Amino acid sequence: MVEAIGLYKSFGSVEAVRGVSFSVSRGEIFGLLGPNGAGKTTTIRMITGLLRPDRGRAFIMGIDVHRDPIEARSHIGVVPEVSNPYVDLSVWDNLVLIGKLYCIPKETIIERGKSLLEELGLYDRRSSKAKTLSKGMRRRLLLAMALISDPEILFLDEPTSGLDVFSARKIRSMITGLRRNGKTIVLTTHNIDEAGMLCDRVAIINKGKIIAEGTPDDLRIRYGKYIEIKVLFDNSIDSSVLNEFRDHYNVTCDERWVTIICEKNELDEVLDKIMNIKHRLDLRIKDLHIESQSFEDIFVRIVRGE
Amino acid sequence: MVAGISDYLKKIWALSIKDMRLYYFKGPTIVMGVVMPMFLWLAFMIGSSPSIGSAVAMLLSISSFFAASSITPVILPWETRQKTLEMILARPITIELVLIGTCLASMLYGVFVSLVIIAIGIFLGVCAANIPVLIASILLSSICYSFMGLLFSAIPSDVPADAVLLSSVVRMPLIFISGVFVPINRLPILMRPLSYVSPLTYYADIINDLYIGRSTFSLGIDFLVLLLFTIILGIFTIETNRRTIIKRL
Repeated sequence: MVEAIGLYKSFGSVEAVRGVSFSVSRGEIFGLLGPNGAGKTTTIRMITGLLRPDRGRAFIMGIDVHRDPIEARSHIGVVPEVSNPYVDLSVWDNLVLIGKLYCIPKETIIERGKSLLEELGLYDRRSSKAKTLSKGMRRRLLLAMALISDPEILFLDEPTSGLDVFSARKIRSMITGLRRNGKTIVLTTHNIDEAGMLCDRVAIINKGKIIAEGTPDDLRIRYGKYIEIKVLFDNSIDSSVLNEFRDHYNVTCDERWVTIICEKNELDEVLDKIMNIKHRLDLRIKDLHIESQSFEDIFVRIVRGE
Repeated sequence: MVAGISDYLKKIWALSIKDMRLYYFKGPTIVMGVVMPMFLWLAFMIGSSPSIGSAVAMLLSISSFFAASSITPVILPWETRQKTLEMILARPITIELVLIGTCLASMLYGVFVSLVIIAIGIFLGVCAANIPVLIASILLSSICYSFMGLLFSAIPSDVPADAVLLSSVVRMPLIFISGVFVPINRLPILMRPLSYVSPLTYYADIINDLYIGRSTFSLGIDFLVLLLFTIILGIFTIETNRRTIIKRL
């Protein structure tokens, strides 16, 4: 459905994107993750035909985006990261304008627009000017504008950036709903947990290059080799007792809490050592947590090249 | 093919309607398109006593010129600032369609203001000698001036005042060398060549011909040069904006 082949883009002496390639299959949610300035938005702009790559090609449903941008864009809906609806037009007029740019018949615009606004909780505000909407509502309106053409593919650039928890949740639930309806979605985000939740597959981009690609679970297995063990003893312990851990593991002690970060295959050994300390000092364990690294931790490790 | 052209026209019209709704009543448009030419005209009228025909011809010449070139400099900087440009360019349209839609809105503004002046003239008992030629000249000049206005928006700034300032710097001197207030043959000899490279000269010449029977060139030459200006400005404007519009994203 979406294919990027060796995309390169420079702005002056800055190489923003350096040979990005990936493909997205039908019905998949694909996340392009990366820190700010990693090249996510530039990549999306090249794939949606807004920017011409210096090298490389992009295809939407087999159509070369730069040879036939109008045909390629007629299959996609886009919510750019930094964008607004026309604030002096009403919610409804914004939708109608976009519908007309896709040459959708008037009756379809009315039918689809009504259903989208109801679904996104904006129907009661359809006559309000967009400038009276909150940031979250404007973002939902932009999503409705991207969906008015019922596109096969949706590009969402930082869809929940800057939104409050409730608006972000609404957008996320809309995105999962779209996947159920068979839409293909390409989203960029620097909210790693969001990507872990929503995406079937992710690519991590840094300094204009894709440095890791796979399902979130793949990446957890491949890069998430560390676990964190947190133990709460009934009495505080002297930190010198933990010296036997320090040569091998990352250990911190905060009064009664002891935190040890080790590799997964060392779990058994570390637990034995903890039990040793417990018996030696006649302590009782009041609480114990063993946690795999979060997707955010894994992302940080990948970006840092650890 | 026909369906393709019809789709293009529908998209241009949709963009144009959007521009009309959003920009016709914006402050810079009204000030630069209606108020400014009116005051310039009034300033010239005070102290001189032209015939009603001359007065209407002057007002029509500068009003069409200012109105048709007042919206196009504003739209792209404004949309850059409002962050709507990328949103609209991500649809199945091209930069050229956006620019043509903008020019159409600006051109229709020029036509509308011109029709109001013509109506005032008729109310005062003054009418053009040839209505079809008058309509054709207003249409052609409005296209030409809307392209000219769009050229000023090619600077990739998101401050509408930058484009308005630039357009004023170019438009104001043109008023005085194009035979609107002072006939070309009464201009200093050194300034006359400048008047020949002003697109306003040829429209003002047609209007003077139609309202007061005084002209420097034949109607055929006026229309031909105005058409050439329109084509050259159209190509140059679209190409320049096509190169700079991406810098706005």
